[in-house]
Amino acid sequence: MDKFLEGSLKDRIYVHLERQGPIRDSQHGFVHEKSCLSNLINFLKRRQRSQMVKKVLGTRAFIRGDFCGNSMAIPPPDPKFVLRGTGASVNTLHFCCSDQEDWNPILFSGSANGQIHIWNLKTHRADKVLESHNKQSVLWIHTLQGRNGLISQGRDAAVSTWDLSEGRTAVIDSIPLDSYGFCQCSLMQEGVGHYLLASPGSTSSEVKILDLPKKTPVWVLKPPADAKLGMPMCLKLWQPPSGSRPLLLVGYENGSLTLWDLSEKKMLSHLACHNEPIMCLDFDPERAKGISGSSEKLLSSWGLDNQQNLKLQNTLTLVNAGIADTCIRQDKKILATAGWDHRIRIFGWKKLKPLAVLQYHIASVHCVTFSDHVVPSERLMAAGSKDQRISLWSVYNKP
Amino acid sequence: MAIFHTPKEAFSALRPICVKITKEQNVINVQCLQSQLQKVGDAALQELQEYVLFPLRFSLRTPGLKQERFVQSVVECIHFIISRTCVQNQQQLCEIFSEVSLCLSSPGNHGKLAIISEELKMAVVQGLIALLHSAYGDILLCLYQPHMLPTQGFVISLLLDIAEHEKSRQLRVLALKCLLLLILQCDCPDTHCSFDSSDLLQVGDAFASFLPGIALGMSRIISGDIKQGHLVTIYAIKVWYKLVGLVMANDQVSKNHHDKKMLFVEDSKLADLVICRKPEWVKDTANKLDVLLQKLCSCATGNPHWKVRLELVELVYHLLSYCNKSLKQSIGHLLEILVGLVGDERPEVHTRCGQVLRNVSELCMICENKDFTDVLSENLHTLTTALPRLMRTLDDQSKLKSLGLLLGYLKLLGPKVNVILNSTVHLGRLSKALMQILELDVTDVRIVEERRLNSEADDLQHPMSFLSGWDHLRLGNKPTMKRKYFKHFTEECVFALLQQTCRVLGYYGNLYLLVDHFIHLYQESVLYRKQAAIVINEVLLGAAGLDVDVLHERETPVSVDDLKATVTSIIEEYISRANWDLVTSIESEHEAGLNTNQPKFLGFTKGSHSGCLHTSQSLTVHTMNSNIWQICIQLEGIGYFAQMLNKEFRQLLMTSLYPVIEKVGAETLLISQTATRTLTDLCQACGYDSLQKLINLNSDYLVNTISLNLRRLTQYPHTPRVISVMFSYSDASLLPLVDDVVQDVLLSLDHYHNEKAHLIFNVLHSLMTALAHWFPPKEPAQKEERPHNKACNSATKAEEIQCFFKDYQKQKRLAEGDVEDIDLDQTEYEISDHLEPDITFDHPDVKKELPAHIQIAKDVMEKCIHLLSDKSIKLRLKVLDVLELCVVVLQSNVNELLPMVHRVWSPFVQRLTNDDPLVVLRAFQVLCRLADTCGDFLKSRVSKNILPKVIGYLVSQAPVSAKAGPIYSHTLVYKLQLAELQGLGKLCEKLDLGETDLDMVANTCLPYLSSRQPPKLQDAACSVFYHLNEVDPDATWLILNEVYCPSTYDLPHFSLPPIHLTGMGKQRNEFTDNVLQLLQEFE
Repeated sequence: MDKFLEGSLKDRIYVHLERQGPIRDSQHGFVHEKSCLSNLINFLKRRQRSQMVKKVLGTRAFIRGDFCGNSMAIPPPDPKFVLRGTGASVNTLHFCCSDQEDWNPILFSGSANGQIHIWNLKTHRADKVLESHNKQSVLWIHTLQGRNGLISQGRDAAVSTWDLSEGRTAVIDSIPLDSYGFCQCSLMQEGVGHYLLASPGSTSSEVKILDLPKKTPVWVLKPPADAKLGMPMCLKLWQPPSGSRPLLLVGYENGSLTLWDLSEKKMLSHLACHNEPIMCLDFDPERAKGISGSSEKLLSSWGLDNQQNLKLQNTLTLVNAGIADTCIRQDKKILATAGWDHRIRIFGWKKLKPLAVLQYHIASVHCVTFSDHVVPSERLMAAGSKDQRISLWSVYNKP
Repeated sequence: MAIFHTPKEAFSALRPICVKITKEQNVINVQCLQSQLQKVGDAALQELQEYVLFPLRFSLRTPGLKQERFVQSVVECIHFIISRTCVQNQQQLCEIFSEVSLCLSSPGNHGKLAIISEELKMAVVQGLIALLHSAYGDILLCLYQPHMLPTQGFVISLLLDIAEHEKSRQLRVLALKCLLLLILQCDCPDTHCSFDSSDLLQVGDAFASFLPGIALGMSRIISGDIKQGHLVTIYAIKVWYKLVGLVMANDQVSKNHHDKKMLFVEDSKLADLVICRKPEWVKDTANKLDVLLQKLCSCATGNPHWKVRLELVELVYHLLSYCNKSLKQSIGHLLEILVGLVGDERPEVHTRCGQVLRNVSELCMICENKDFTDVLSENLHTLTTALPRLMRTLDDQSKLKSLGLLLGYLKLLGPKVNVILNSTVHLGRLSKALMQILELDVTDVRIVEERRLNSEADDLQHPMSFLSGWDHLRLGNKPTMKRKYFKHFTEECVFALLQQTCRVLGYYGNLYLLVDHFIHLYQESVLYRKQAAIVINEVLLGAAGLDVDVLHERETPVSVDDLKATVTSIIEEYISRANWDLVTSIESEHEAGLNTNQPKFLGFTKGSHSGCLHTSQSLTVHTMNSNIWQICIQLEGIGYFAQMLNKEFRQLLMTSLYPVIEKVGAETLLISQTATRTLTDLCQACGYDSLQKLINLNSDYLVNTISLNLRRLTQYPHTPRVISVMFSYSDASLLPLVDDVVQDVLLSLDHYHNEKAHLIFNVLHSLMTALAHWFPPKEPAQKEERPHNKACNSATKAEEIQCFFKDYQKQKRLAEGDVEDIDLDQTEYEISDHLEPDITFDHPDVKKELPAHIQIAKDVMEKCIHLLSDKSIKLRLKVLDVLELCVVVLQSNVNELLPMVHRVWSPFVQRLTNDDPLVVLRAFQVLCRLADTCGDFLKSRVSKNILPKVIGYLVSQAPVSAKAGPIYSHTLVYKLQLAELQGLGKLCEKLDLGETDLDMVANTCLPYLSSRQPPKLQDAACSVFYHLNEVDPDATWLILNEVYCPSTYDLPHFSLPPIHLTGMGKQRNEFTDNVLQLLQEFE
């Protein structure tokens, strides 16, 4: 009796289900000839296949979906625009995009023939060209007070400050430096209109800190004579979020890195992280972590512990040697390097995961930097190269 | 004639005749009175008015039958008196009014018109008119007292009768005028006493009773026979609307005055006649009037006389301005008439109509009249619903009318159009209607077939003419736009109307809403894409206020920033690859086929636009035609946008210039023309003087895209087109940027060595063509050679011999080392001048930097060396083309050219000797070009490597061609033969070949002088001998004479041995003709 009832009930339910159609063909267990088990097997097969695909893509593709949001490998993008007409290899770039909302974003570029171009990023044309440093190569530029001022360092061993407000293009001041090397200066704002400038000093291994409007040397940092560090190659002046004392990171010719406390004129820490001269470094004060590149194939990241000791964290071996410049994006998510092998590489900043190799330039890339656009999706990356072009990229911008 | 000024004199003069009339009533007496009256002054007559009128009135009043002529003269006399005086007494007015009007009625039946002569009727009506005019001040109003209603009714019915049934036009018009006068709306030039609104109210009340009768009567007249004359119809219309306007006027109907009015009515009989204009009555009447209105309007709109239509406009205006509340249900109809008449062919009508429309729309704006908008939007809705059907079924004229209606509604709505656009239903209907109407006719095959004449392919032989093909474009001539063909209409003016409609929409409507909606349609289906693009283009033009004709200004024009933002996104949509890179020809399909290397990309486009498949299966002529039109419409749009934004558009050039230029280079004629138009538009809008300037100043944008696209040539196979167009419009000032691109091109050649080399060589070809054009070669140096030899040739015999000996002596002395200084200096100077113009020897260590174009040509030639021996014939041919151009560019710089030629030589010889005939042919042409420039340098090479081959070929082919039939001239072998023969002579001359070689050439060519050879080959062979004659005339002469010698030579002196030439005394043979001709010409 029970069996009979059960059977008729099951029939009714089945008929109902078929008529109303809530069950799709892919639904297993209900429909004839499709048991739960077969579904499970199918599922497993699908998983396996997707895993395999992922593995294949993972090794082949340079851009992974971590930022883009899809797991398909897409070819590396082309530049958004290429700025031409610098007339010489581009040594340094600096963005100025976030100071005024309705102003055009601009990009400063300094090239080897002593010209500083001011590029309008709306029209992608040079608004103005400044002749500087007696046609000697421009090494480094930075803005002062928004876009109204500019500071530039040239191979003529001088730092010039410029007045650019209201369309002027006048050199206000020229500060002679003691070094004729390639080391770029580093600038830090201390207060309104008040800056500290770190520059290579007169004798080898020495670094001089200037107070900017006054042009007076504040501190001279000399490492112990027996250290044999060689020339300073790159400088990074920064202020830790907790303390008020400014700190300075210096990369030396012998591949070692030092951290200085300025006010005490003391070397806090020393780390030999490369075997070749350090070409570039950038530092993220939030994570107390930095990155440095040298003329060898190695890219190393190091951290700063609570005792202000530098510690090597991670190293990454690249295919080709030589990193001319490196820059961490403002949001601390990605990092770009400018390679002597004509390539720009993008890494995830957290784990130094390689994300993309951008290939456009036909000569070694000298500098790379990220823009400071307020809206993240507008952010650009610019790279200047020996082939006299500046490439603008829009990478990993989608939120 | 004496005039009596004082009443006394007048009285004494008039008295006898007045008495006489009372006694004896006949025509003569009355006429006598009238003639007497003429002598009386106006003032006197006024005094005596009552007295004079009395006998006349008396005679009318006396019972009994009267003669018509008598009555007529009496009425005329009364008319005369009254028209000169004014009636001051109410009673008198009423009495005369009724007395005169009584003359019209038949004695038996008062309501009926008497059967009397037209003259009498005329006199009576004129009398009435005069009477109404002469009423003094507001005493006229007494006629509208309730107690006068019967009389009024009586008069009106008589007048209606006359107006309707009389034969005489004049009489009918008079009757209608009289009616107008009765409702105080006379249109005669005399001044009338103006009445205030309460007086008018009284008149209105009185006439409310007669409204049905008059309105009906007038309608009948209006809808009557057209032959009645336009004046009658016009007056009937006038009476109709003046009356309706009076009785149904908003302010009269709305007032609460009915109770008060009732008090005046004492008599119950009269009370029946009086009509109280209560709301119910108004509604009822309005309904009935609506029916009449529709009837009369349908009659009047079709009236052939424009004045009638003009009057109709007045009717609409009058009713809309005075009765828009009471006649609510007719508003729609009235507007329809008005809007319909905007498109009238008479300028008077449509200008007036435009004025009225403007006033009306202002009226509706000021009053914030909601009904008005409602009515309009409802009308619009029904119209848009019906439009697609109308478009399919009606003829063009009616289509024009209904579209005119649509435009009129939109114009009337003005800024309120947004109310409609905000409703999804409305917008949907409107857009669907537009989509259907604007459907293009894509069946024309010619559009797909027509090709741009100077596409690169045909002009390989003539590199220079390729460039000259662009010259007409450089001048900035705007090719005229080809008109579009639509499925549902053919007349151009229909399209113009639709354009206006879209522009008005854009002018008033919410731009973002509209653009968003139509872009959505654009993306939705390929069926709508073209129409939607047309609409978007026009809407934006309207939004910018260009070429738009509206009734009143909008309050807030769209800001430039908004426009720019919209335009930017639209352009982005237009030039997105799915909408821009469409298949437009079968040839381009194989190019598109290259795209299959990127399956992902194609798959993506297919997925999102399932409507437009690019695959070959679904590719029909219609699809291609449709694609072509789509591109053209989009191009047109970009041109429009530029016009809207003017210089602001310069920023958008960054994205839009490249695609436009790409289309300028398109193969399809229509696209290329449209793109050129657009380019001119861009040029004008952005304020550049010429296309050249436009391209030169924006070449950085172009170069940027080009260089990026070159990296992905498979995806962007049209990049070479852009480059060649850019080059052809531009000039040498572009060179620094070009240099950059060329590096990219050459680099990409290394990357795509096999697959893409062909495409890249297209680029190089256009590049070198441009360079050859920008740096035209100087006159080749070889020209100046051997001037004195030439001089000798032309001299007479004795001098010739003298000259020869002198020359010989000089040569011998030179050979012996006896060199004169001056001579040497000269030659050295010349050499350095020719060969090294650029190089100065300041820094022997530093290599002087070459001019950019020379460097480029060198680089390109370098690539040619490697690819000359490529597997593909096509590529080899292309490489040879480029090689030739390189030689042209380099010919001014021999120091660079010669080493390159040296390097090219060995693969080049392979092309000439062991290759497909097609390639050999081309290579031989290149060789001729090389010979032009390099001259001596190639002498030994040619004679060693090439000449034997060429000669061997010619020798072996000579018997074949001699025996060949007519088809032979189409074979490749023949063409090669021809080319070689044509080139050989020049080659010999340029290279200054040695005697043995010349001899060989001459012997080879001799068989071709045979008359059995194809004529062209004979000509070519002759040309070889001409050239040989230039190099060595004596030997040539001898050779020819050995074949056939026409004359014998007498010896000048017996001591000389007799001359014997093998050709002497020969019979006429196959060679005779050509040899004779040649010998003749040499002399």
